[in-house]
Amino acid sequence: MDPLQIGQSRPRGDAAAKVAGREPYAADAYPDNRLWARAVRPGVPSGRIVGLACDAALAVPGVVKVLRAGDVPGSNRQGIVHKDMPVLADDRVRCCADAVALVLAESPAAAAAGAAAVAVEIEPLPGVYDLDAALAEAAHLVHADRPGNLLARATIRKGDGADPLARCDVVVEGTFTTPVQAHAFLETESGVARLQPDGTLWMQVSTQSPFRDRFEIGHALSIPYDRIHIEAPCLGGGFGGKDGATVQCLLGLAALHADGRPVKMVWDREESFVAGYKRHACRLHYRLGARRDGTLQALHARIWYDTGAYAHLGAEVMELGMEHAAGPYRIPHALIEGWCVHTHNPTAGAMRAFGVCQVSFAFESMMDLLAQRLGMDPLALRTANALVRGDTNCAGIHLETSTGIKACLAQVARHPLWREREIWRRQAPPFKRRGVGLAAVFNAAGYGGGVRDAAIAKIEMDPTGHFIVHNAVSDMGQGNSSAFMQMAGHLLGQTADRLRIRQPDTRTAYPSGSSSAGRTTYTFGRALTFACETLKSRLLNRAGLMLFLQDDDDLVLEPDRVRHIPTDRSVTLAQLGAMMSAEERVCLGQFVAPTCKPVPDTATGFFIGFPHVIFSYSAHLARVEIDTLSGVVQVTNYLAVTDGGHVINPAMFHQQIQGGVAQGIGYALYEDFITHHGRVRTEDFTTYIIPGALDLPEIVSVACVEETEATGPFGMKGIGEVAMNGPLPAIANGVADAGMGRICRAPLTPERVLDNGVRAPATAQLQK
Amino acid sequence: MRPVLFPTTLAALFDIVEHQPDARLMAGGTDLLVRLRQGPADRRPLICLERMARLNGITTENNTVIIGAATPLSAIIADPLVQRHCPLLARAAATVGGPAIRNMATLGGNICTASPAGDTLPPLYLLDARLDLAAAHATRQVPIAAFITGPGRTDLRSGELLTAIRIPMAERFGLQHFEKVGRRNALAIAVASLAALIRLTPGGRVAEARLAWGSVGPCVVRCSEAEARLTGRRLTSETLRAAGAAARAAVTPIDDIRATTAYRRDLVANLPLRLGAAT
Repeated sequence: MDPLQIGQSRPRGDAAAKVAGREPYAADAYPDNRLWARAVRPGVPSGRIVGLACDAALAVPGVVKVLRAGDVPGSNRQGIVHKDMPVLADDRVRCCADAVALVLAESPAAAAAGAAAVAVEIEPLPGVYDLDAALAEAAHLVHADRPGNLLARATIRKGDGADPLARCDVVVEGTFTTPVQAHAFLETESGVARLQPDGTLWMQVSTQSPFRDRFEIGHALSIPYDRIHIEAPCLGGGFGGKDGATVQCLLGLAALHADGRPVKMVWDREESFVAGYKRHACRLHYRLGARRDGTLQALHARIWYDTGAYAHLGAEVMELGMEHAAGPYRIPHALIEGWCVHTHNPTAGAMRAFGVCQVSFAFESMMDLLAQRLGMDPLALRTANALVRGDTNCAGIHLETSTGIKACLAQVARHPLWREREIWRRQAPPFKRRGVGLAAVFNAAGYGGGVRDAAIAKIEMDPTGHFIVHNAVSDMGQGNSSAFMQMAGHLLGQTADRLRIRQPDTRTAYPSGSSSAGRTTYTFGRALTFACETLKSRLLNRAGLMLFLQDDDDLVLEPDRVRHIPTDRSVTLAQLGAMMSAEERVCLGQFVAPTCKPVPDTATGFFIGFPHVIFSYSAHLARVEIDTLSGVVQVTNYLAVTDGGHVINPAMFHQQIQGGVAQGIGYALYEDFITHHGRVRTEDFTTYIIPGALDLPEIVSVACVEETEATGPFGMKGIGEVAMNGPLPAIANGVADAGMGRICRAPLTPERVLDNGVRAPATAQLQK
Repeated sequence: MRPVLFPTTLAALFDIVEHQPDARLMAGGTDLLVRLRQGPADRRPLICLERMARLNGITTENNTVIIGAATPLSAIIADPLVQRHCPLLARAAATVGGPAIRNMATLGGNICTASPAGDTLPPLYLLDARLDLAAAHATRQVPIAAFITGPGRTDLRSGELLTAIRIPMAERFGLQHFEKVGRRNALAIAVASLAALIRLTPGGRVAEARLAWGSVGPCVVRCSEAEARLTGRRLTSETLRAAGAAARAAVTPIDDIRATTAYRRDLVANLPLRLGAAT
């Protein structure tokens, strides 16, 4: 067995355990003597609680307690930035997910029966369920202290803003809408908690943010954060939906009232669909102006995000979308306006590509509209306007880090799927039309301005000379812990069998932020490289000591030993492990991600999270075949060329791109989380349709490594999100290319495709 | 706990039915188990049909293919008799759910569930399937079109069991077509479907046409008006369009979360056009 190497395709470190079902997830924890907690969610989207009777529930055999808002110590408010979401609603209910009581019972069945027996009386109040209603004059307010139902209202103005549109040779215009998307992870929100004899609240939970959860739980339940101990085993999927408290505050509350017994909570799929955070639905209005030769001149984008009842990360999602609103292009003048709007719909929050996949649909559709208007090749138009290092992007950020979109587009241009498109298109069978669509997309990495994006990594050698990486950023399936093993093995010259990973534990690891924002492997990985370098130098030093060498020259760290090359004498790691003290065997490394200084004055109304300095880029191509009798769209081939800097593990890189594209194809063609007057209509996977194996083409992923990212570990940057942004616009452009008209409303259901191709005129119009 | 019973003979089964009249029959369970999950308080016993040898298997008798009601769809799809004598049924059965579901779901279950979107139903209508129904002391036979009376409603009487599906070996239809439009390629509920059996004269004219649409009304819609538009004519896009137009007027689809009424009508009118490409 060879030592692990950066750049090698290797099986994931967790593959065997996961395939064999041995990897422990939070949902798998069944502590002895456990109680089960279940929330009572009346399902009324807007109302006042006028009665709550628990007697009948307490009479249900097996029900131990029924907790209500009055039982919540502390603020009873959770939220990552804005603390506005009650753990248990005390007076008002603002969405169908609001919990008004929490039942503790001896079994899931008793908890369910108890929850059904809680009598809740709610006086319905008026509600606002769409953007227009929420923004109407004198609209009913979701929160009395947020006038106009605006959680946030922000602007980015670059150059002369929208004014130059009046002087452009060509202006294209379009209005787009995007659906709510559910994360649809395999493992629903779940965890166990217990109040320890020493008063510590212990929790093992499916979370992307174990360290920050302590603050959210602590604020809601009035517990000092250092008395909260969180363990975050591998997640069965997260995609942003487990960034911030889901079950945490409810579980903590239950544990406080469980007399020291452990409490377990697992949301079933229906509860997850109702109460889990979702991707924001958006409406986007775009006007894009260019010179006759295709040079982009000015953009005016107005973007409305339906953020639902509570803040969660709504404002930050909108801000990231705005920062990307003009695409990976050089545009001298831009006015980008955003409204983050409360409604009584389920709360929208973080999801892979965090506000960016909505704007990607708009700007990449606009680019095709412009190409069509100008009679230009869509790839040439994109290439001519693509950002390069040294440019200033639409948010006014001077790009000083790796900027690979032009190289990605060049790879697409050389690919047979692009070059042979005409022949392929002409070979469409009867009743089918074929089209090829492109999308050039990007996605920022890191938290952005005003938020500390930092990590503290810990590596330990145990007394037997084996290594433990103390991961502090959750592995939700994306494979960051495998990447960390590969980095540690590479730097320490060790084989895979000598390395173990320990998943996040707030008692033994150190605060390193959340697993999110394309920063997980990047930020923690960089910190880990420093920890590994320190440990390596320490091991060489102690070996030199044991070998009575005058200095550490010519010592090399090899699997299981340190060897002195000139004399071929060595010390085994077991010998070193036995000699070294526990504190000597542990090394920490720290890293703070680069920040933008000075911050340009382009943005107003932003709270935190602006601007970003590192972006991954991607050029996508979709070949689509549309059935003209049914409107069904089949993606027959897909190409994703991605600039993610240097690649740590090619196999895992491609898997993550393929997963992102698959989720993006779902967003483009199938997924539509539908509510009616604030109530969920797509309650489960019968009606919330995600793509299956037969709906996905072979997804060809190509890593475009023209330049590495100097600030990242081994030159990498995060690619977890960018792949999500391409499929919707690439497919919409492909459908238009096939002659089925431009569809501005996602998902592109067969019905919309058929209507658009046959009956209705396109929404987007051309001006001038 | 819910009692779950596994009779192996009809006599034993009817004995259970007599003594536990609230018990429910379960074949593959692919539909029933989902519904039971939604009503956990329901503790009525289940009578599983999977060990009833008599209900499982495919035979022929007097120019009729006889399919045991509890035969899984995957067995039907793979069966040489079915492939030879009623390939249309095999084709439709292959669109139900996914492989795991087809291993459990049965033809009898698809019939008794009587969903307007039941994928095997349009072919069974076109093939003139007849159903063997047995009770403790009586048996009867009914045509499928008479058995299914509405969405989720059948003529199955209390204490009665569907034991077999009989499909006459009809004269050979040169053109056998089934198409289902769902919201994805597998694990999809039909938004609309079309089954067609067409026999052409040596001259290329339609000697006999049988057309049935699924998921566009309370029951399968077999449209004689549409069939008449094809009979005696060639399968040109004009005649197929005329047949589609007739069917569009005959169906009564609903608006639901999967599709609107208007779209379903469009599908009903459009899908026959594919028959022109198949000849």
